[in-house]
Amino acid sequence: MTSEAEEESVRVLDEADAVELLAYLMTAARTQVDEAAEYAPMRLLTAAGRLAEMAEPNARAKLRPLLRDIRQGCSETAVQAGDPAGYVERLDALCQAVAEYLVRWLSLDRSP
Amino acid sequence: MNDAVLRAIRTRRVTRALTDTPVGHDQLQTVLDSARYAPHAGNRRLHRYVVVTRPSLLRAVRMVSPGMLQRPMAAIVVCVNWARVHDYGFPPASPGPYIDVGTAAATLLLAAHSTGLGAGPVTSFSRTALSTILNLPAGVRPELIICLGHAATEQPPAMQRQGGPRWGDLIQWERG
Repeated sequence: MTSEAEEESVRVLDEADAVELLAYLMTAARTQVDEAAEYAPMRLLTAAGRLAEMAEPNARAKLRPLLRDIRQGCSETAVQAGDPAGYVERLDALCQAVAEYLVRWLSLDRSP
Repeated sequence: MNDAVLRAIRTRRVTRALTDTPVGHDQLQTVLDSARYAPHAGNRRLHRYVVVTRPSLLRAVRMVSPGMLQRPMAAIVVCVNWARVHDYGFPPASPGPYIDVGTAAATLLLAAHSTGLGAGPVTSFSRTALSTILNLPAGVRPELIICLGHAATEQPPAMQRQGGPRWGDLIQWERG
């Protein structure tokens, strides 16, 4: 039995999206030097949210719910960094959602 | 007492979600013109204002501005002419020009609010990349972007801070 990861992969980003994300990441690396430390994870979250937004239209149906969760979660999390405990809790929830997707995607829950 | 001014000050909010409705030229001109009336030390005219409305240019500006969460339909980039600042004899670390960027920004934001536009300031962007994209002359550096557009019905939740000082804790009357 093949895992989802071994099924045919689909292209989810076009070149314009990739350039937009590249420019964001490159300039965020520079701006972070001058910004408060709490902005670092916020910039990464924004990048994750934008990647999810770009990928969602072309992604496989099985991936879309995760992308939606990330997009929504990033939007809600990115502006509430002043609540450290809640912030970590929300990030952990998103990380768990990603990990659960990976388990399914790579069929890690099946016997080898 | 001028209630209209106070009401504008108290009801203005940073707008992080904008619609794709274009900003009217007259509205944009009104907002831009307000910066003339911002309090600037010595009225030295050390600042430059770059107006961006072209969609492709706005897109490029956003690409190099990690702090720009909204997709503006227009933007006013407040720049400092550092060559003139130097000629005036300001030391390199002088905060004066930055303070005037702040007064211009506050005035532009209030003017946008008064014309019915949504607006938000952005300071997180690559100065180098934005200077190139806007083809700014040497010595002129972008320091702040005012994003403009029509506010979307749904806005992201406001920034919440827990455990910080109360407003009253920030104020000292007379000598401490």
